[in-house]
Formats: sequence, structure tokens, C-alpha cells
Amino acid sequence: MGIRQGILLALVFVPVLAAIPVLLVPSGRAARLIALIITAFELALSLVPFAVFMQPRPDGWLVRLDLSWIPAFGINFSLGLDGISLLMAALTAFLFMLSVLVSWDAIRDKSPMFHFMLLVMETCVMGVFLSTDLFLFYLFWEVMLVPMFFLIGVWGHGRKVYSAVKFFVYTFTGSLFMLLAIIGLYVIHGSQAGEYTFALEALKSTHVEPATGLWLFAAFFIGFAVKVPVFPIHSWLPDAHTDAPTAGSVILAGLLLKTGAYGLIRFGFPLFPEASAAYIPVILAVGIIGVYYAAWIAYAQEDMKRLVAYSSISHLGFVVLGIAAWNEVSLAGSVLQMVNHGITTGALFIMVGMLDERMHTRDISAFGGLWSKAPGLSAFFLLFIVSSLGLPGLNNFAGELLILVGLFKEYPYLAAAAFAGVVFTLIYLLRLAQKVLFGPPATDAEFHDLSPREAAILVPLAILVVVIGLYPRILIGPIEGPIKALVSPVAAVKTAGATPQAATAPAQTAAADRGGTP
Amino acid sequence: MPSFSMDNMVSILPEMIVLSLALAVLMFDLALPKDEKRYLAYFSVAGLAIAGYQTMNLAGLQLDTFYGMFVLDGYAIFFKVLFYIAAAIAILISIGYVKGQEMDKGEYYALILFATAGMMVMASGADLISIYLGLELMALSVYILAGFMRGSMKSNEAALKYFLLGAFSSGILLYGIAIIYGVTGTTNLAGIAAFIQSGQYSGPALTLAMILLVAGFGFKVAAVPFHMWVPDVYEGAPTSVTAFMSVGPKAAGFAAFLRVFTTALPGIQPDWTVIIASLAIMSMLIGNVVAISQTNIKRMLAYSSIAHAGYAMVGFVSGGMQGVSSVMMYLFIYMFMNLGAFGMVVMLRKDGVAGEELKDFAGLAKKNRTAALLMMVFMFSLAGIPPTAGFMGKFYVFMAAIDAGFTWLAIIGVMMSAVSAYFYLRVIMYMYMKEPEGEFELAAPLSLKLAMAVAVLGVLYIGMAPAGLIDFARISIAGMM
Amino acid sequence: MLLQTGFIYFATVIVVCALMVITRKNPVHSVLFMLPLFFHVAGIFIMLNAEFVAAVQVLVYAGAIMVLFLFVVMLLNIQKERVRPRVGLKWTFTAPLGLTLFGFLVAILVRSQYNGTQGSFTIEAVKQIGNSQAIGQVLYTDFLFPFEVASVILLVAMVGAIVLAKKRLD
Repeated sequence: MGIRQGILLALVFVPVLAAIPVLLVPSGRAARLIALIITAFELALSLVPFAVFMQPRPDGWLVRLDLSWIPAFGINFSLGLDGISLLMAALTAFLFMLSVLVSWDAIRDKSPMFHFMLLVMETCVMGVFLSTDLFLFYLFWEVMLVPMFFLIGVWGHGRKVYSAVKFFVYTFTGSLFMLLAIIGLYVIHGSQAGEYTFALEALKSTHVEPATGLWLFAAFFIGFAVKVPVFPIHSWLPDAHTDAPTAGSVILAGLLLKTGAYGLIRFGFPLFPEASAAYIPVILAVGIIGVYYAAWIAYAQEDMKRLVAYSSISHLGFVVLGIAAWNEVSLAGSVLQMVNHGITTGALFIMVGMLDERMHTRDISAFGGLWSKAPGLSAFFLLFIVSSLGLPGLNNFAGELLILVGLFKEYPYLAAAAFAGVVFTLIYLLRLAQKVLFGPPATDAEFHDLSPREAAILVPLAILVVVIGLYPRILIGPIEGPIKALVSPVAAVKTAGATPQAATAPAQTAAADRGGTP
Repeated sequence: MPSFSMDNMVSILPEMIVLSLALAVLMFDLALPKDEKRYLAYFSVAGLAIAGYQTMNLAGLQLDTFYGMFVLDGYAIFFKVLFYIAAAIAILISIGYVKGQEMDKGEYYALILFATAGMMVMASGADLISIYLGLELMALSVYILAGFMRGSMKSNEAALKYFLLGAFSSGILLYGIAIIYGVTGTTNLAGIAAFIQSGQYSGPALTLAMILLVAGFGFKVAAVPFHMWVPDVYEGAPTSVTAFMSVGPKAAGFAAFLRVFTTALPGIQPDWTVIIASLAIMSMLIGNVVAISQTNIKRMLAYSSIAHAGYAMVGFVSGGMQGVSSVMMYLFIYMFMNLGAFGMVVMLRKDGVAGEELKDFAGLAKKNRTAALLMMVFMFSLAGIPPTAGFMGKFYVFMAAIDAGFTWLAIIGVMMSAVSAYFYLRVIMYMYMKEPEGEFELAAPLSLKLAMAVAVLGVLYIGMAPAGLIDFARISIAGMM
Repeated sequence: MLLQTGFIYFATVIVVCALMVITRKNPVHSVLFMLPLFFHVAGIFIMLNAEFVAAVQVLVYAGAIMVLFLFVVMLLNIQKERVRPRVGLKWTFTAPLGLTLFGFLVAILVRSQYNGTQGSFTIEAVKQIGNSQAIGQVLYTDFLFPFEVASVILLVAMVGAIVLAKKRLD
């Protein structure tokens, strides 16, 4: 095992190993400090590959690590790093460090345990983004729920326990279906190849009967779609977001939702090229409905956190559309948008948290005329709002544009409809900005501007927003290769199977039946 | 007349050790003063360790002894090891508890050992007669243990209920054995299989006998619809006994159930597959759904025990090497996590009385972080969430089911797992997300702490490195399948 | 023919007695009806050439267990027990269910063949060496293991009786 594999292993396991001393230290201060050091170390570690090894191996991966784990079941401890997972890993490390920072003052109760959960969570998210063995992936995917359950349930506010349980049960149910599909695929592959394995590359070569494939992909899709979340099974998200602590919201919006989209890109489509092609109409439909529906609901929200939560569903609708279109441009847009959404929405949640800390309310009507009272804070808030609504020159614009262009290639009318969705986004976000930042002040209460710690959190976010907006190539560069490799096999199936429309029609109805049940 | 070879004595060496141990405990009991009975517990655990060592020494042997009554094979050894660990942990859990409940008598430990011996005979029985006698030995000991808290009406009721229903189920089992004997002319498992294979059998009597056997064994493993006794008995019996009862006799029931059906009745497998599959579905359904509405944690764990019998039966139905080894592994894992959960219930005393209500767990995390953490691990394991052993167990069972083509069974199992997450999570919710009420009093002598450490290490170790256990189970049944 | 008539007689009496046992209001009557029941069971054993088992049946059941039952009944408060009717409303539901099940069992058992493998102890062989010797021989060879386990069961029963019933020493 070389130094590269070592980095991979460290990315995944350093947080969980550090979590144990964090749990044992008596003071919250020490726990915070250790957590900050570890997350900073992770961030540094995740940036190393950018600088040092961007030359892919012949099989497309930058780094691979394969260790035998449970040979009786053909389970390996396999990690792989390519451009896509590298971006996601860097985003993970970045957002976790921010999460520690935003919780610096906000979390005083049971601080060691909070940071313990945070670090365990980081391991799981890293694991999800780096695993190339389906069993290992599922393991991280499932364990991820546990710390999140605690983050919401213990340190949240409002109906926190209700939201925590709802979050857990929804996502647990979804992922159990995925578990069945994973086992199903494993069994089919084993009976065909004679060798039972959960390795992604091997399973890709499985020949699945079309009817079985439809079921398996549906189960995978449900598992991922709950996390994204896709339109009819999204209802856990607003509750979870609203009641989570700021750090929890940042991780939920910035990373957990991305694991769903990432799963579709890495596992869902490549494993079932035929079946996924058959489901594309369904996926496009739920994507576009999500864009509009969530934007519509967001407009009616009075709670800022809920508003941002619904905006997440709407934005993720675009990502889903980009994935469903499955060409190089749209997919690049989706991956880019995943990162952008993590940054922008994470920033918005952080800012809502800051407002909440000052006024102890998140009600839009309780704010007004902030610009005159706290210009620094307001400027950042406005920047992130306009970034979120896709102002050209800022990060979201680049991602959305790529998605729409890619979508236009395949489905021009749908692309037009999606574009109109952007206008919807404009409406509710501008309403937010107008009500909170401008207009008459709602109260005469004292209002502090940014503290140095808060500024230190927001500045890097703002820099990223602008830099990615102006020069998206820094993110697109690393993902071009892997996306090309992902697109070609599925696209080949799509073009080959485009003609028999009759075959896909019954599948669509079947999928609609299943897709509708959460 | 066949000669009596030394193999006979070798094959029952483990049983003899455990029985001698039980007798020795009965005798030493006389010599020990009233407050010093805990030494009997230590003595029993040490003896079980020796028995375990001796049993492992016998691994690899395949002895058919006592004129076809008894068999020592890998399968039996696997279950015997399971029983030793279960009995040892149960004894360690008991030491402090029996003192507090004024049932600190030497016979308590002797009866656990007698029950263990009965379970061992069940796992090794190669004839319906010896299996039945082993079952009775185990059952009788456990009936008495259930009523050990003589001052408690609930305990008396539990013992009586368990005894009456248990006797009834034994009667049904015996009736089934009698019919099998009538049809085939033998009670030897291999003999029955050979007779069915020969094709001489006709008429539905064998199916009837099989159904009666399912009822008898179903009672012991607590499968729906033979589960009526479970909640009341689990709730009423002393908690330390419930802990033992929920893992030992259940595993022994499965050991005999599996052996009888896979070695004696493979000829009518399609018939019993249907019946056991429906039992599995009903158990998972009723166990999990009813558990949601329970407020007493012992009752909740009772229904969860029914549900877990259902999961194990999913593996049973799948059959074959995969299916049988998945059940074995499941039971092994279940032993650790359920003993752990009951151990925590034993540990928790609230305002001077045993904390058996769900709300007694409220705010435990604030008062005792370690206890709450342990309970959390056991609950997650029971719910089947990685990286705990419970996940591995369920994973293997469902994998076996899908591999054998019982996908629908796996789907039901998975859906019910999702339901079960709710009530296991509720315990965690109470511990971590509610404010404590009243005074906690954690009765945790060193022995209990040790038992919990073993249980939690078992749960986590098997959860993260299950390869050893899987291989153990698979090698154990290599000779049988 | 004689054998069949005998069997029908014994079986009928057994079933009738058993019904009487569970339907009598007075527990003493219930217990007393067990006496003819045990004797008739012994009669069936004799017809099957199992004299030893028949003798044990009479000695153990009629002699020991019955007497024990009578003692227990005497110790209970019979007056209270007597008032309660043995056949209640519940029977209207349970009896048909039980009878249906019984019908099924009979139907199934009648339709089946019983042609299992024969053991080495045929009636002739047993007659030749004598009943008790045959049993002894089997009990200490083929059934040695169950026999020993049964002894442990009896020990456990004894321990249990003492543990549950003995007066508190402290």
C-alpha cells in the first residue's frame, strides 16, 4: 500500500478514529479544538490529490485501494478516487470544517458528543463518496443515518425528535429496498459468473433480464431518491432541515442530498443501463415537478430555514434532470451543481443560523431593513441569494447553464420548461432578499454585524462562489475524464434501445406505480 | 448385541461436564453461607469455560453414538458453543440481580446449567426420543426459573402459564412423534429420511405429523401463532431469566427444529417450506407491529423476540448450506444483542424499583453515558443497522432468501425491519432526547459490567469482522448438508 | 374378532371416563373417574402383549399419581371449586372447533398407510424372552441415553419442587 492509498484510507478513517478521544475529553472546548484540527487536516488531505496526482491510471481511477474484508461473501474493502469523488470529498472536508466553526458558540450542550457525531458523520460521508464495493457503500450509506439522527434529535430545535425519527424512518426504508436490490444483483451476478462479489466493476458486467432489471433499478432509485429527495418522497426534508442545528442543516443540504445524486451517477445508471434508460421519462418527470413544486411551496414559506430547505429540493430537481439527460454536458453540469449547491445552500443555512442567533426567530416578517443595521452581514446574504438564483458570473449559473444545455440536446421542450423554473426560483429568493434586507426595519432591537469568526466562515464561501462562477474549469477539469467513461456505455445502450418504444411504455407505468409510494 | 465403544463416552463429554457442574453446584450450595452464593456463579462460569474448551477439542469429529440416539458433529458443536456463551453471560447478568430480588439461591445456577445440558442434548439429538427428552429437560428447568421470584405474583403467573402452555405444546410434539413412528416405524432421524426416500409412504399422516412438529417447535422458538405465552412470560419472569430464556431455549429450539426438518424430512420439503414460510411472515408481521404499541420494555423485547424468530425462519425456509448457516449465524448474533439489551434492563433500577417501563429510560444519557451508549448499540443491532452484528445477521438471512428464490420473503422481512426501526429508535429517543425524571440507580456489579462488555464486543466485532463466524457456521454444517 | 371387541370396549370406556373427568363439577369425582380410565389403559396395553407396561401403568398411575391428585384436591377448597360449572359459554365456540380438528385428525389418520419398518422385537420374540427382559434389554442398550436423560429430568423436577415449595428458611 503506497502513500496514495494511505491518503485514501486516512480520508475515510481519520475522523472516526479522532472521534473516540473527542468523546472522552471532559471539556467542550477541547472537543471543539480537536474536531477543528481534524477537519482542517481532512481538508488539507483532500486537496493533496488536486496538487499531486491528477494522472488517472489506465482503468480511469486516480487511486485504488482493495483489501479483502469478508471473503465468504465476496466483500472487499475497496475505495476508489476519481475526479467526481475527489470533488465530493473536498466539498465534504470543506463543509465539515465549516460545520465545526459554525457550531463554535451555538453548541454548548454535550459538546463532546456533538463533535463525536460530526466526526463519525464525516467518515461515513467520505466512505459513501469513495467506496467502489456495493456492500461497503451500503454500509457507509446506512451508518450515515445514525449521527444525523442524533444531530437533529439532540441538538435541534422545535419538533426535533419528530423530525429526527421521520428522517430516519424515511431514509432507512428507502435504503432497505436498495439493500435488497444490491443483494439481488449480487446473486444474479454470482449465478452467472460463478464468483460472488460486490465489486462495482464486476457487477457492471452482469447481464440482467430486462424485467428483473426494471425492478432492481426501481429499488435502487427509491433508495437514492429518498435522499435527493425527489418530489413525492421529499416530505422528511423540510422538517429535518427546519429542526436541525445549523451544522446539521449544512451537512444535510450540502452533503447528504448529494449522496443520493452521487449514488445515481456512480451506481444507479452505470449498473442498469437498459433499465435506467426505460425509467428516464419518469425521472425527468419527477425532476421537473420537483423544480416547480418546491419553488412554489418555497414562495409561501415564512420560516427562512424552511424556505431554503424547499429551495434545495428545487435545485436538486435540476441536478436530477441533468442526470436523467445523461450526456457529458448535462452530467458535468449536475456534478458541478452538486458542489455549487453545497456551497451556496450551506452558506445560506449558515447565514440563517446567524440571524437566528441574533433575533431568536427565523420568521421572515420579523426582519427588515437589515442593510442599514448590519451592512457586512447583509452584503454576504445578498451575494449568496443571488448566487442561489443563478446570477451569471456566480457559481450556480455555470452549473445550471450546463444542465440546461445538456438537457436541451436531448429534450428541448423540457429544457425550456426547466428554464422557466429558474424564473420561479428568482421570485421566491428575491422576495426573501427584499423582505429581510430592505424595506423598513421590523424592530429597533440592537443588531450586531459579523464577528471575526463569522466573517472567517463566510469569506472562503464567498470566494468560492465567485471563483467557481468566473472560472468553472477548475471543477470541470477533474471530472471530464470520469464523466466520459460513465456516459459512453449507458449512452450506447440508450441509442441502441431508443427504437423499441413499445418495450419501454409498460415499464413506465410500472415505474410510476412504484415511484409514487414512499 | 452391539458392543459399547469408548466413542460413546467421548461424544457426551461436554454434556457430562455440564451435568457434573450442575450437580457440583447443588452440592457446594450446601456448604456456602447464605450471602456467598455468588461463588457458585463464578464456579459455573469457569466450568462452562472448561466445557467450551473441551467441546472445541472435539471439533472435527463426527460420532454417531448410543445406537443412533446421539450425534456429535460440527452442527452440534456450533450450538453448544452458543449455549455456553449464552449461559455464562446469563449467569454473569444474574449475580447482582438475584440478590436484589431475594432469589439468591444455589439452585438458580444449577437450573441454568441443567437447562443448558438439555439444550445441548437437543442440539445433538439424532433421534426424536432424545430430542424430546432434551427439550423436556430444558423446558422443565426454565419453567422453574421463570417462577423463581416466589414473592412476585407476576413471576408465579408467568411460571404457571409457561408450564401449562409448554406442557400442552410438548404434548402436541409428542403426538407428532408418535404419528411419525406409526408411519415410518422408527424415530431415528436418518431412519425416517430413509423410509420417506424409499417411497413406501403414502397418505397424509406424515404431513399431519410434520404440522404437529412445527407446532411443538414453533412454541419453543416463539413463532406466531404459537407465541401467546411470550409477552406475559417474558414480562413476568425475573429479568435475568428472561434474558436467558430469550436466547438459549430459542436457539436450542431452532437447533432441533432445523436438524429434524433438514435431516429427517427433506423428502417433504415443499410441504414444510410453505408452512414455515407463513409462520415466518406472521411472526415478522405480528412481532414487529405489536411491539410498536408496547410501553414495557420487557414486553417490547418479547415481541421483538417473536419478530426475530421470524427473521431466522426466513433463513430456515431458504434451506441449503446458505440458509442453515444463515440461521445459525443469526442466532449467534441474536444471543449477544438480546442478552445485552436484557442486561441493560437488569442494570437499570429507578427510584428503588426495577426500571422496566420505557419511560424509565428517559434521560439515561445525561446520567450515565456509558450505559446509554451500550443500550444504543444493542438497540441499533436489534434494528439491524450497520456496523453492528444485527445488520450482518439480517443481511445473511435475506441474502440466503434471495439466493434461494424467496425474494418476496426478503421483501416482507425488509419492510418489517423498517417498521422495527421505529420502536428500537424510541428507546434511544427516550435515553438521549428526553429529560430524566426521578433518580437513576444503576445496579452494576463488576460481573454485569463484564457480561455487558462481552456482549457489546461480540456485537461490534461480528458486525465489523463477521468472516470468522461465517466460516465457523459453514464449516460446522459441511458434514450435515 | 375378540381383540377388536376388546379394543372397542376399552377405548370407549377410556373416552367416556376422560370426558367425565373434565366435565364433573366436583373435583373429587373428576379424580375418581381417572381410576377406571387408568385401568382400561392398562387393559389396552395387555391386549398389545405389553404386560410389563400394563403393570407399571396400574402401579404408577392408579397407585401413586391418583393418590397424589386426591391429596391435592383434598387440600384445596372444594366448596369454591364445586360452584363453578365446568361447561360454560366458551364451550359453544371451542367445542365445535375442537371437534372439527378432531375430525380432520381422524380422517387423515384413517386414510394413511402404516407400513413402516419393523423392529427386531416382534410379538413372538417378546413372548419368547419375556416381557420384562425385553424391556430391560432395550432400555439399557438402544434407549440407554434417553433413559439417563430422563433420570436427570426427574432430578430437576425434584429440585424444582423443593425450590418452589419449600418454606422460606430465613
